[in-house]
Amino acid sequence: MPNEPKASSDPGASDLIKPPRFMGLRIDRQQVIRAFFSVSAAVTIVTLFLIMWTLVTEGPFRLQKKLGFLPVPTLKGGFLDTYRWELGVYRKAGLEFCDHVKKPLTEHETIFSRLKRAVGAELNTVSKVSRDRRDAAILAKTHVEERAALQREALQEALDKTGPATPPEKIEELRKAVREATARKVAAEVLPPLFTDAEKQKLQEDLRGLQPDQEDFPPFIQELMAESAKQDGLAREKFAAFVTAVDEFEVAADPIIEVHDAMKELALATKELAVQQHMSEDAVAQLLAAAAIAKTPEEKAAFEKDAAQTDTTAIDFKGRIEPLLAKRADYEKLIPAYLATVKKVMADMPSKPLTGEARTLLAKARKDLPEHIKTVEASLHHMSGWKWDKPIPLMQSLSAFLFGGDWITNSSWQDFYGMVPLLTGSLVISLTALLIALPFSIAAAIYVNQFATLREQEIIKPLIEFIQAIPSVVLGFIGISVVGDLIKSTSDVAWLQWIPGFPVAERLNMFNAGCLLALMAIPTMFSLAEDAINNVPRAFSEASEALGATKIQTVFKVIVPAATSGILAAMLLGLGRIIGETMVVLLVAGNRIAIPDFSDGIGTVFQPAHTLTGIIAQELGEVSRGSPHWQALFMVGIVLFAISLFINWASRLVVRKFQLPKI
Amino acid sequence: MPATLEKPAAINGSKPPTHLTVKIDGVDFAYGARQVLFDVTMDIAAREITAFIGPSGCGKSTLLRCINRINDLIENAAITKGRITLGGVDINHRDLDVIALRRKVGMVFQKYNPFPRSIFENVAYGLEVAGEKDKKRITEVVEESLRAATLWDEVKDRLHESALGLSGGQQQRLCIARTLSVKPEVVLMDEPCAALDPIATARIEELIVQLKKQYTIVIVTHNMEQAVRVSDRTAFFYLGKLMEFNDTMKLFTAPEKPETERYLSGRMG
Ligand SMILES: Nc1ncnc2c1ncn2[C@@H]1O[C@H](COP(=O)(O)OP(=O)(O)OP(=O)(O)O)[C@@H](O)[C@H]1O
Ligand SMILES: [Mg+2]
Repeated sequence: MPNEPKASSDPGASDLIKPPRFMGLRIDRQQVIRAFFSVSAAVTIVTLFLIMWTLVTEGPFRLQKKLGFLPVPTLKGGFLDTYRWELGVYRKAGLEFCDHVKKPLTEHETIFSRLKRAVGAELNTVSKVSRDRRDAAILAKTHVEERAALQREALQEALDKTGPATPPEKIEELRKAVREATARKVAAEVLPPLFTDAEKQKLQEDLRGLQPDQEDFPPFIQELMAESAKQDGLAREKFAAFVTAVDEFEVAADPIIEVHDAMKELALATKELAVQQHMSEDAVAQLLAAAAIAKTPEEKAAFEKDAAQTDTTAIDFKGRIEPLLAKRADYEKLIPAYLATVKKVMADMPSKPLTGEARTLLAKARKDLPEHIKTVEASLHHMSGWKWDKPIPLMQSLSAFLFGGDWITNSSWQDFYGMVPLLTGSLVISLTALLIALPFSIAAAIYVNQFATLREQEIIKPLIEFIQAIPSVVLGFIGISVVGDLIKSTSDVAWLQWIPGFPVAERLNMFNAGCLLALMAIPTMFSLAEDAINNVPRAFSEASEALGATKIQTVFKVIVPAATSGILAAMLLGLGRIIGETMVVLLVAGNRIAIPDFSDGIGTVFQPAHTLTGIIAQELGEVSRGSPHWQALFMVGIVLFAISLFINWASRLVVRKFQLPKI
Repeated sequence: MPATLEKPAAINGSKPPTHLTVKIDGVDFAYGARQVLFDVTMDIAAREITAFIGPSGCGKSTLLRCINRINDLIENAAITKGRITLGGVDINHRDLDVIALRRKVGMVFQKYNPFPRSIFENVAYGLEVAGEKDKKRITEVVEESLRAATLWDEVKDRLHESALGLSGGQQQRLCIARTLSVKPEVVLMDEPCAALDPIATARIEELIVQLKKQYTIVIVTHNMEQAVRVSDRTAFFYLGKLMEFNDTMKLFTAPEKPETERYLSGRMG
């Protein structure tokens, strides 16, 4: 029972009791304000949960109505389920079986292209000079012809004219014009130093005589062509064993390719049927659902009739796989001959190649070929152990996503959603960016906070923070137009070839993206690091200097160690910004979906890659809603979300761990 | 300025008594446009304790911080007139080695401020930045300094623990040890006991009196009893001016200026 103020209370204290009043209501004003702020906080938190809910229900789960209205997420129809179905068809239709044959074939292709380049390099040692001379002469001829085109065309026209044929004096006149023009051009044409002076004269003589109605090459050029052909022949003779071995290696795969193509045809037909059947099942389900809510009995009957007519007979996977399995015997029969050729190539490769290029290529081949033999033998083994009806557990589709090395979509063969290439791309780019941004932003923070005058601070700080205002699309332009060319031209500089990865093949690569992301992260990292340094108590630096430490000593022995936590947090938050950035990587990273080849060491960063963010931005707009591909992109979104959460959590931990005493 | 990384003098045994005096001669000081010291002139004798007293904001700390030029860290703050000499050398001379000056003129701050490092590293810091590499010598100096600051017995078993784990009084004595480790001639103390309880204060006062034998000491204090207890001479500042500078006993018993009188009797500041 509240004690109501009675007449007994002292009048001096009577104003102590006052009912809360707000807009005429008995509500406490403070409570209202508090409620307002707590609602705002609650809305943000609810939004966060809604975002997570969306990611989850569009990705691994799918909503199902329980009791007719209650949305409950189930795994059925979610990404793991649909991907499992796709992987199931991949297996049951025998595509997986075909890929066992495909693997050695792919290897064969890469090895062959290397060998071919090696052969070319070797042949060049003999035939290059004569071929270059021939090519230079032909080039000079084309040049001269093009430059004298005006006169030549006039003459050609006159020659072709039949109505009344052109009078010979007129033709003679035109010929003279051609001769004069050609002679002028020949005099202007600079011949490469591949020819001696006498040869140059001969060639010029040849060129001066060029007329449009002349069909054969002039004599000296013919001579050069014959010489080149002869040298070519000599070269082939000199490296005959190697050349034939490589030629044989090329054709050795042909029968296997044939078998593989036949197998592919069978498997794809079955897959086609399975997809059809799946679609019909969906259609039936939809028809039945429509029938359930149909308004009139006639409509209902019509729906049900349609449903009954749709063909959903189960596919006889077992029957259809039989002919495919039978092909294994054909494949097996081809193997001994094939392996013999491979071994022949290994034996016939020149042990001491003449060129550096051939040396590296052959060294690679020497390493790859034994591996290749193993792959071939293993493929037979895999094929005999392969079972079309081995079930695929749900977990396998999860691990295929998390640890799968292929992200292949819209393929005529089989789609794979493995995020490893995207994840490695994102990580390599982010680490590159971090490594570039870290020294710059921390050095700038130290300079601005410790060494710069007040005026300098006023200029530098806003400028660095302004970088943040540059739209990332604009940075993307810069990456494509400036940084890419810069990297490419720098990498071609002869005395920089010791840098791993140089010369770079692609202008758009992870390093390029890393540079721009570093630029984007610098303002964040700089501001946070500067704050951290600024928060180091002045007492520390005064104590240090009073002990006779120099400014530099004070900075590196006292201030920076004391600011470690803030600097680490700055680094982590910068990393968060980098990982989440989309536009720049989409434009600049080169968008090649493949796990980078880490055998290049540091040079790996000069390869193109695709990223977690980039793939979503690029593909989400084009896939149909609710398809496995769509769901896979949401799975990628969840991974990104998890990474960001982790980074945030880690930065909080770091800050707490290294907290400074208050002074 | 050449940064002479002078090695601390031989340290076996205690440091020889100093004979360096500080002469302040007509000094004006300004933070930018704001002048806070006006024509201060005084001599600080060697091996004596000189106390600075006066109401808050009258410029005691500012003058103290001029003597080791730690005010250099504050932008736009400078002596605008007059000069300060240490042993006859103008400390604002163009070619003066500030690092060397700070090793001769140590400073203890009002709020104890050990670095977030171990006790040992705190005391060794001054030698470390001077480039001392000899581990044995560093260990000796650390022990000697801690003994001089009467802290050795309390910390000798936990030298490698964080300095921040010590009590306030211990931390302040650690800061004194850190200051003594570079063998200064003059020790400046800016309200060294302001953050401490009476017992810790008493210990530090005791320590200061002991240090007088070897060092020239200047101490800023708001505690009149403390000034009487420890100092030989006392300077009274008022509104940036040195009002009175005399033997402590004389100043407290028979102040010459009415402002001093008013301040001492508690009617001002
Ligand atoms: N860094 C600074 N920038 C500008 N003015 C300052 C600065 N430090 C001190 N001052 C001013 O200079 C005057 C003297 O300050 P100082 O710190 O020397 O006083 P104090 O006598 O030590 O006072 P207290 O007893 O409170 O410590 C004060 O008015 C103060 O506001
Ligand atoms: Mg003060």
